Amino acid sequence: MTANITGNTARDATAADGTRQTAGTRGTSVVLHDLSRAFGATKALDGLSIDMAPGELVALLGPSGCGKTTALRIVAGFEIADTGSVLVDGKDISSVPAAKRDMGMVFQSYSLFPNMTALDNVAFGLRMRKIGTGDRRKRANELLEMVGLAPQAKQYPHQLSGGQQQRVALARALAIEPRVLLLDEPLSALDAKVRLQLREQIRTLQQRLGTTTLFVTHDQEEALSMADRVGVMSHGKLEQIAAPDELYDKPATAFVAEFVGIMNRVPGELHSGGTVTALDKTVPVMNQDADVSPGPADVLVRPEGLTMAVIENGNGIVATRTFLGSVTRVGVLLSGDVTVQVDKPSTDAAALAPGTSVQVTLPPEPVLVAPRR
Amino acid sequence: MAAIADTQVVPAPPRRTARPRADRGAVWRWVVLLVAAVYFLLPLLVAFRFAGIKSFGSVLSQSGFTSSLGLSVRLAIVTTVIEIVLMLPTAIYIHLRLPGLRRLMEGITILPIVIPPVVLIVGVLQISPGALKNTPYLLALEYVILAMPFAYRAIDAGLRALDLKTIVEASNSLGAGWLNTLMRVLLPNLTTGVLAAVVLTVALVLGEYTMASLALYQTFPVWIYVNSQYSGQISVAASLLSLLVTWLFLMAITMIGTRRSRRKGGGAVTLFTATRQETRGN
Repeated sequence: MTANITGNTARDATAADGTRQTAGTRGTSVVLHDLSRAFGATKALDGLSIDMAPGELVALLGPSGCGKTTALRIVAGFEIADTGSVLVDGKDISSVPAAKRDMGMVFQSYSLFPNMTALDNVAFGLRMRKIGTGDRRKRANELLEMVGLAPQAKQYPHQLSGGQQQRVALARALAIEPRVLLLDEPLSALDAKVRLQLREQIRTLQQRLGTTTLFVTHDQEEALSMADRVGVMSHGKLEQIAAPDELYDKPATAFVAEFVGIMNRVPGELHSGGTVTALDKTVPVMNQDADVSPGPADVLVRPEGLTMAVIENGNGIVATRTFLGSVTRVGVLLSGDVTVQVDKPSTDAAALAPGTSVQVTLPPEPVLVAPRR
Repeated sequence: MAAIADTQVVPAPPRRTARPRADRGAVWRWVVLLVAAVYFLLPLLVAFRFAGIKSFGSVLSQSGFTSSLGLSVRLAIVTTVIEIVLMLPTAIYIHLRLPGLRRLMEGITILPIVIPPVVLIVGVLQISPGALKNTPYLLALEYVILAMPFAYRAIDAGLRALDLKTIVEASNSLGAGWLNTLMRVLLPNLTTGVLAAVVLTVALVLGEYTMASLALYQTFPVWIYVNSQYSGQISVAASLLSLLVTWLFLMAITMIGTRRSRRKGGGAVTLFTATRQETRGN
């Protein structure tokens, strides 16, 4: 897909009604190559490299200050990298100004132009591309329809709810047929229910249009549920980039393991042969290349990975119970004042009243280890 | 559920003494308003009595009235255009790129108020090149400086009400360059601030006396003063008229501004405030 603006939106809109090209056949490849950016003494980005396939949705996930927004802003052209380059369809766009990059962007804060109606907002990018009034209106209307806001076309931003405003912003960003769609925490200002709806809507539209998308968020649920691949960042570096399930099941580092999902730290003893003993059981180590020396170490294991049985004089005592629907998360106090979370089917959890003595056991599968904290 | 019992409302004992607080507040409001009204309106009333109805009619036929008013209006237009063209991009640039300088800028823009106009005009007359000295538009350049504090503040207030950075970036990402962003996105959202700047600048130019008189140009205020040497009543009538015209102008602009802003969700327009746009929930 090239930067050609004319004549495609209508087709996309009709495609919305059913006939559809498969995602990935169009769209642009984006390469972030070795990007670094420092603000004073702070390294916001430290050699970030990501290859995005055409039509792919990559989420950058990390705590605030990890550099994810800086990366997005460099791609958008609002920020300049100290070193490194951004390639779109193989061409270095580092010297192209933001206005000429053909990138649709949805911002965290409400960014609609207050003086324009929803329709005029969506049509603005087309107007900048010198598309005639009639065509422009027609296409803007189609896009508003796509995000389900056709009836609100004549309303001003202040007459729309936050969720509606972000949908108009999405329509506005997509109206220019962007080569790349950039989403800068577009859902974080919305309440939970609207966020969930909009999340699905964005993903559906993105897949339908096949627009290569970079999505920045600090919400792991959002990243895992929407993205083809999730890049977890910390201190300006990419810790791991992988498909959501891989990220969850095979985290490459302790940081990723603890940032994505819930992770227990169980004190154990690391042996030089690539095994670790914890909770009276010895199991193989998954991350044998990690920088952990034999001796006391922490074993990282997810709540659903631990098993638990009611037993007299076990190694733990049930402390809390949190009902989460089909599962119940049980907090177990181990010796040494360590608490671990163990998931049990809610049907089995009834017997686990606080104070019950239980035996908690490691899974037989290889586990992650991290230096003792 | 002990918590509920705790939070149950205990009816307040009925008040026996004095009037409710709200009532007393209202009384004070009226007192303050009345004092202010007397302070401002009494001199006008006295001036009106002094001038007499008849002199209002003869103002228009006085020699020098048309030419001096014409000069003042021309100066007002030139000053306003230069003022806006200078201050609008400056204020936007500072908000966007040099927010750290906002404090300093506020300090600088207050200087013309601190420095007496006499000092300004004498200094400028000393050093300005002859070509400029011989045209009344030298005054316009001076007035641009005098009006700067008001114009800057009015535009600044408008900018504060916008999420400037996001809006500019959104406009850029949609393919709008600087000129388009300024003219199509920023200016329409700053009408309130810009209008306020215009009103304040015009009011200032129509009323400035010291500089015009020292530079030996007969602007409208200078004419009023000169005329008062011959006929006190007519000059007072003229100044009342100019006050009325300025006031009407001001009212018109605030009303138009408020109507426009209400339609697009903004608040009421006053000269130094613009209320931030609010969004209905989610």
